[in-house]
Amino acid sequence: MSRSLSAQHIVKHYGGVVALSDGNLNIQSGEILALIGANGSGKSTMSKVINGVVDFDGGQLLLDDKPVQIPSPQAAKNLGIATVFQELSLVPQMTIADNIWLTREPLKSTKAINRKLINQRTEELLALFEGTLRTKIHPELPVSTLPPDEKQIIEILKAISLNPWLIILDEATASLDSRQVDRLFELIRRWKAEDKAIIFISHRMEEIFRIADRFSVLRNGKTVGDGNMKDITDKQLVQLMIERENVYEFTKASTAAEKTTSTNPVYLEVEDLETDTIRGISFKVKEGELVGIGGLRGQGQRDLLLAIFGDIPYSGKIKIKDQAVHFKNPRTAIKHSIALVPGERAREGLLYIRSILENLHLPNWDKYGFPLKIRKAQEDARKIGLRLNLVMASLMEPVSSLSGGNAQKVVIGKWLLRDPQCYLLDDPTKGVDVNTKSEFYSLLTGLCKDGKTILFYSSDDDELIGLCDRVLVLHDGVIRAELTGETLTKENLVAASLGVTNGGAA
Amino acid sequence: MRRTSWETLTTKYPALFSIILIVVALLINLSLQPNLFSRDTLNSNLRVFLPSVLLAVGQAFVILGGGIDISVGGIVSIVNTVLAVQVGLNGSVEKMWLYVGISLLIGIICGALNGFFIAVLRLQPIITTYATSFLFGGLALFVLPNPGGGIPQSIANIYRSTTPLGIPLGFYIIAILILLWQYLRSTRYGSYLYSVGGKADAAYETGVPVTWINFSTYVISGLMAALSGIAITMLSGSGNAEIGSPMTLTAITAVVIGGTPLSGGIGGITGPIMGALTLGIIQNIVSFAHVNTWWETFVKATIIVVALAAPGIINLFGRRKS
Repeated sequence: MSRSLSAQHIVKHYGGVVALSDGNLNIQSGEILALIGANGSGKSTMSKVINGVVDFDGGQLLLDDKPVQIPSPQAAKNLGIATVFQELSLVPQMTIADNIWLTREPLKSTKAINRKLINQRTEELLALFEGTLRTKIHPELPVSTLPPDEKQIIEILKAISLNPWLIILDEATASLDSRQVDRLFELIRRWKAEDKAIIFISHRMEEIFRIADRFSVLRNGKTVGDGNMKDITDKQLVQLMIERENVYEFTKASTAAEKTTSTNPVYLEVEDLETDTIRGISFKVKEGELVGIGGLRGQGQRDLLLAIFGDIPYSGKIKIKDQAVHFKNPRTAIKHSIALVPGERAREGLLYIRSILENLHLPNWDKYGFPLKIRKAQEDARKIGLRLNLVMASLMEPVSSLSGGNAQKVVIGKWLLRDPQCYLLDDPTKGVDVNTKSEFYSLLTGLCKDGKTILFYSSDDDELIGLCDRVLVLHDGVIRAELTGETLTKENLVAASLGVTNGGAA
Repeated sequence: MRRTSWETLTTKYPALFSIILIVVALLINLSLQPNLFSRDTLNSNLRVFLPSVLLAVGQAFVILGGGIDISVGGIVSIVNTVLAVQVGLNGSVEKMWLYVGISLLIGIICGALNGFFIAVLRLQPIITTYATSFLFGGLALFVLPNPGGGIPQSIANIYRSTTPLGIPLGFYIIAILILLWQYLRSTRYGSYLYSVGGKADAAYETGVPVTWINFSTYVISGLMAALSGIAITMLSGSGNAEIGSPMTLTAITAVVIGGTPLSGGIGGITGPIMGALTLGIIQNIVSFAHVNTWWETFVKATIIVVALAAPGIINLFGRRKS
């Protein structure tokens, strides 16, 4: 029986942020659809709408041309829609078999779980990936003992065990190695032949061209194009994903500093840096330079910044002003005049229930003696507040009383007092309003003019292009392209982010 | 690699560490008390240990499911005082059985109350059961303000000195508990219990009835606490509203020593049973080693702290090597 699912004019807001304004998607059994889009274009939201994880605000879903409600993940499963999530839905302490068959365990007449049958069925599923698994895998192994790629495979098998007609693979290949991806693609083709439908979401352009029949492109929450894969080239797809208009006026840091950076000495040097997600990164940053780090989310940007800041273990060499350093913890990094604005403001950047004053001074109390000179601290905090144009009721108010943009100002403000030489910024303008963004940009260019070194990861491509002298594009834990001057264009940036070969220069 | 194998081993055989511990404790006890394995000594030991064993089993269910229940001592006290006051030293056997039934009902109701607050209203387990422990303890004091009352000697003796086929009663009870658990664990309920304690979000996303499972663990814990209350009443023969309060922590310690970490999702019932027995044996060792009474608590606590820290230390060395 031929089945179909269609999402029409889907609208979804998260608070004031519009995640989807006009999302459309059509899929039929026996088809592989690639859902494509840049960061924040609404791909994940779209898949969450279809598998019942989020409730949408407008539009409708049609199953076999009839309107349908999918209020929960369970409802989606009952309709034969299975999703392979990125965030694993496995219970780590339980065995592989128990995880795959949870709530659907085969029972004996005594109501006890039929161990033999459950293991046998699990073996059958595991056999699908036979030969690509590193450890000798047994159905009764706890999931927590498996490496990430094998966990991902168990997640795929769990979805398959439902025998769905529609499978959503949301970045399912991200943690798999090439042999496992090959095997998965063989299976996807087999499922297609069995008249199943597959929605394939991936950041790897090469994979999309290998496997998909059709594509659907999202841009800023809108579906801007769909069609057959064979009618389009990767360059054209990239064009579709890019937006032309630009809201901000940018002043390049280098222009502000009147191009003096080229003669400056090197401040930070990284050589062969490796962590769990980074696979050998080397680069140099000069004093007064604003270097952008681009690429899709989760390609190792976070690890790169955290490694330099001494927050995670790494191998490789890091030199500051020609001196080799290896920070074991953030405390030593801070002593060496490095500051980090972390990616998750609420969790890592601020103590939300404490006052603005305390947050601003958390790294700085050592400067105020014993007992603390509170009055001087308040004075200094007030100056920082003025410099950053911090909108607040008083310094004693908790940070939770501030808007997102102002809270972010506190995160960067707490470092300004120490006057560090090097700033590591992890997507600092995420969830920040337009006004604060432009204030932020002038603050950054100002800091560079003063000779500070800034490493700036942003998920907003326009920001990188407008602000940075140089952008390193990370893909899969390596620097895919280094873009400067002429080559620093949006086309090149997006192409390199997606791993399109010869897309970028350098 | 070493760490993984130790992890695999402890996940697969959660009682492994507690077996080592109980064997060591038994050997030390044996050297101090050579007649340990005679029938009478075994029986007198087991009947003292059994109330803690029952309590630990109930606690293990809650902890496996990712919660904690510190109100169990209060439930023991209520049951003890109700039996001591209502049955009385001259009560009949029929009256005793009637109130045993009522006691079990009380345990279930107390557990259901905890379960309602925690599973349905989503309150913090530790705070909720801390509060209800005073509720239950207060009720016990209301029932029996001063120690006294009790149950007839003849009924108490059923518990104290029944040894069918020459084996102490406690053995049978423990065997039944383990058999019941082995069955329960192999059912869907067992699988759900582990999934809720392991990662409730993932379990919910997979369609496990998380609320109901959480609720059930507190009811089971309440029921086991009532059984424990009945056992300790028959052991002591008298009533005391304060009898339960020191038992809560013993039960939790027994569960943890038994290889069921407070984080939930790992372990079983067999380990906690052995944990409770181990704690009893440690008490024996301390008293037979003629430790000065002043030092008794200190020595006992030291042994427990070392026992609790041991798996962590083993893991630490495993990490260093890999």
